[in-house]
Amino acid sequence: MKSIRLLILTVLLLISCQTLPVIKPVTLQPETKALVCPVCPSPFLKEPYRLVHIIEAQVAGETMGTLIGITLINPSTRFVSCAMMTAEGMVLLEVEASPALKLIRALPPFDSRDFAQNMIEDIRLIFLTPEGKITTKGSLADGAEICRWQTGSGGFIDVIARQPEAFEINRYAASGDWKRKIKLKHSAENLYQNIELTAKDASNYSLVMTLIESEPAESELQPGNQGLLNNEENCGR
Amino acid sequence: MKNNLIKPSRFILSTLLLFILLPRIAFADGFEQLRRNSAGIKTVQARFVQKKQMKILAKPLISEGRFFYAAPDSLRWEYLKPLRSVVLSGKGGTKRYIMSGGKMVEDKSGGVKAMGIVLGEITNWMSGKFDKNPSFHAILKEGTNTLITLIPTEQNMAGMIEKIEISLVKKTMAVKSVKIIEGKNAATIIDFSNVEINKVINNSVFQDVE
Repeated sequence: MKSIRLLILTVLLLISCQTLPVIKPVTLQPETKALVCPVCPSPFLKEPYRLVHIIEAQVAGETMGTLIGITLINPSTRFVSCAMMTAEGMVLLEVEASPALKLIRALPPFDSRDFAQNMIEDIRLIFLTPEGKITTKGSLADGAEICRWQTGSGGFIDVIARQPEAFEINRYAASGDWKRKIKLKHSAENLYQNIELTAKDASNYSLVMTLIESEPAESELQPGNQGLLNNEENCGR
Repeated sequence: MKNNLIKPSRFILSTLLLFILLPRIAFADGFEQLRRNSAGIKTVQARFVQKKQMKILAKPLISEGRFFYAAPDSLRWEYLKPLRSVVLSGKGGTKRYIMSGGKMVEDKSGGVKAMGIVLGEITNWMSGKFDKNPSFHAILKEGTNTLITLIPTEQNMAGMIEKIEISLVKKTMAVKSVKIIEGKNAATIIDFSNVEINKVINNSVFQDVE
């Protein structure tokens, strides 16, 4: 019995201490760089979009509740507007970030500015190309393609392409501890059909998001450059 | 985060249950008349389409559902899509279920307890004391349709709801629509159809989630 406890403890310890995965870098020949420059996985929005998801929140595998989430995003300006409502249509939280945070409506228990800020950051992590610099491109031990960004705060964001139809976006603190793990399992119609977000914060939780509706929002939000990473420009590091 | 998720406020439940009460209003020419008529309604059932209007939405978000009521205190308020949820209320208390992982899961948050409290207030309305609820000031207006306006009187609803407008078909006094105005840029409109009064409803409707 003791050995089983020890094993469980060791596994939990290993999981909790999971740090940045090792990347096998892509080797580029300077003279052929332009031709073989690898393209980073880019599961991010290319134009303003509105998405409506059913969001299921879980803590320790147990469902804590389900809401409807509406997200409006402009990748060129990084503007984000989002709302969460009950199945009955009551809006519990509506917030904008342009980039300053503006709480339009926040009912208890969603009336915390920190909660709204974290939610906006999660949305940006899912839908927008990371800010910062690409530090490494290559592949993981299992062959998955990966690009690693270093953010302005010193943290890291890994964007991973797993064939045939899944992406992962993982955020790490500057220390290397993981903070968010996101899995996109897309359908033929939409990249954001199924999203799973696992968070390690003061309390750990996960969100499972299932798409209900999506539509371009070009006419409502000013289009600019499309916000997508230009892989060629970022190829050299 | 754990405690921040899905705990419907008492206000939300109040609003929800106001919808359920609509059939009680449907036969009222005035509040005294409402009280007299309340004894005659044994059951009500209807379909509804809910349109959610918000600044963030270019077009309304559409939900569909149905509700059932049987005197004196059995209620079923159910959304069929896009997110299935069921509120059951009766002698056994109040329970809310929501679709999660392909099955209906009971919502055990504090919001359900709050719903029980609200239902206590609702009981007054069920006995025809609709205009006696201190939470709302009710106004009746006759026109092409009969319009009942409910204005919150309590300060704790400030910023959450401005008013509720209930439109009744004058000829039949059947509920036509409910409009909940939450603020300048947000409203919820519920259009009712297939309203049936005093048609037998199986008890299982108020007991079984599926």
